[in-house]
Amino acid sequence: MTQAADEDQDVAERVGGKCPVIHLDVSTPLTVGSYWQKADELRERSPAFFNAIGQGYWIFTRYEQVRDIYQHPEIFSSESITPWEPDPAYRFVPTQIDPPEHSKYRQLLSRWFAPNAVNQITPAAHDLCRRLIAEIAPRGSCDFVSDFAMRLPTEVFLTLLGLPPTDADLFVPWVEDFFRGFGGDQAQQEAMLQALGGIRGYWAGALDERRDEPAPRDGDLASHLLHSTVDGAPLGDDLILDMLVVLVLAGLDTTRGQLGYLFRHLADNPDDRHRLAAEPDLIPSAVEEALRLYTIIFGDGRKVTRETDFHGCPLRKGDMVYGLVSGANRDPRMYERAHEFVIDRKANNHLGFAGGPHRCLGAHLARRVMQVAVEEWLKAIPDFRVATEEPLLERGGGNMMALFSLPLTWEVEAA
Amino acid sequence: MKLTVDGNRCTGHGRCYTVAADLLAFDDDGYVTARGQLTDVPDNQIPSAREAADTCPEGAITLTED
Repeated sequence: MTQAADEDQDVAERVGGKCPVIHLDVSTPLTVGSYWQKADELRERSPAFFNAIGQGYWIFTRYEQVRDIYQHPEIFSSESITPWEPDPAYRFVPTQIDPPEHSKYRQLLSRWFAPNAVNQITPAAHDLCRRLIAEIAPRGSCDFVSDFAMRLPTEVFLTLLGLPPTDADLFVPWVEDFFRGFGGDQAQQEAMLQALGGIRGYWAGALDERRDEPAPRDGDLASHLLHSTVDGAPLGDDLILDMLVVLVLAGLDTTRGQLGYLFRHLADNPDDRHRLAAEPDLIPSAVEEALRLYTIIFGDGRKVTRETDFHGCPLRKGDMVYGLVSGANRDPRMYERAHEFVIDRKANNHLGFAGGPHRCLGAHLARRVMQVAVEEWLKAIPDFRVATEEPLLERGGGNMMALFSLPLTWEVEAA
Repeated sequence: MKLTVDGNRCTGHGRCYTVAADLLAFDDDGYVTARGQLTDVPDNQIPSAREAADTCPEGAITLTED
């Protein structure tokens, strides 16, 4: 027997008889839709797999199980959220902090991303969006991903945190460089580290500027965190920077990715586009449907804290699990017409923003940015289409999925 | 009909008060204010209450018939 077959047999004994062993690489770029198709295939073949890549990890494919993982942080720790990296060198706060400590840090941030805060900056978001579109519309074409989908969330995010939206000029290239670094060549990985240094340096400068002020600045998160305490002690710069950096990395690229898939759908589906232009009250449910059907989260990792039997799988302490969110969100056991975009879908309890205590902090902001984008875009550019016959490529599910580019084109009336 | 939100399960997705805006309200942190209480559902709000329960990603909302 070959060594690989030997190893497979060892793994098969270890995982028990019920759970197929696979070798799945989720890092490669593929044509758009390939990762959701892969998730659908896995979910219908088995509720659980063991992926024998690297140190190996469990994959759970259906809605009920993925929600179960999210709702049991005492078994499924966020110490690592990347299944092929069980002992990460970094620590995102509060992303990788488990309850009960988690809520102490989360509470410092939740108000800043809650509906009241988002409602307050919504008029500004509309202004920023209209200004961006006014620049783009007369051109008759754009790369939606780089010209709009990265720019808008960044400007709105900065506004929400009390910073000048023009600083998007700095953040957009940093975020681009950061996410190009995953699985990139050496030059790209160096650019990734430089970008991370740039983001951290930006926030460090913001803290220095605000440090000696006697009271927190109104509507300014960095200033507010300098004046915050946990268990009676100030947070300290390192912890504040950990929190501010993760907001940038978790919030901007993700909204860009989700916007790209939503606008590709609108470009390809004129009936849905026209319906949203005529009935803007449907925009929020269309956004939720995009978050369900076109989720950018292939899967989400957790680390097992104790030996347990989970849906028939013998998990051991230290094992990694991967909840296949894209399998859950498209699970026909949960949704009727699971593979269709139902613009006015009811009971859309998707897990596109995760679940349990680590539910996406920026969910309210992200959905508002998407709603504003659809509303303003359709007012200015009601008809548009994908400008290429070439298949579009998506970044692999190893981190958040996103279209690399989305060339759009539309008619421009002669002036 | 009565509606209850399990305060241990609710994590502030905000889906319930969006689909049932006339029945449910939210606080400054984005949580539904009805957490851990018994809320009376007027007859004309029963469809909204059902939708709120079905839309909650945490399954935190329970409805009981009078």
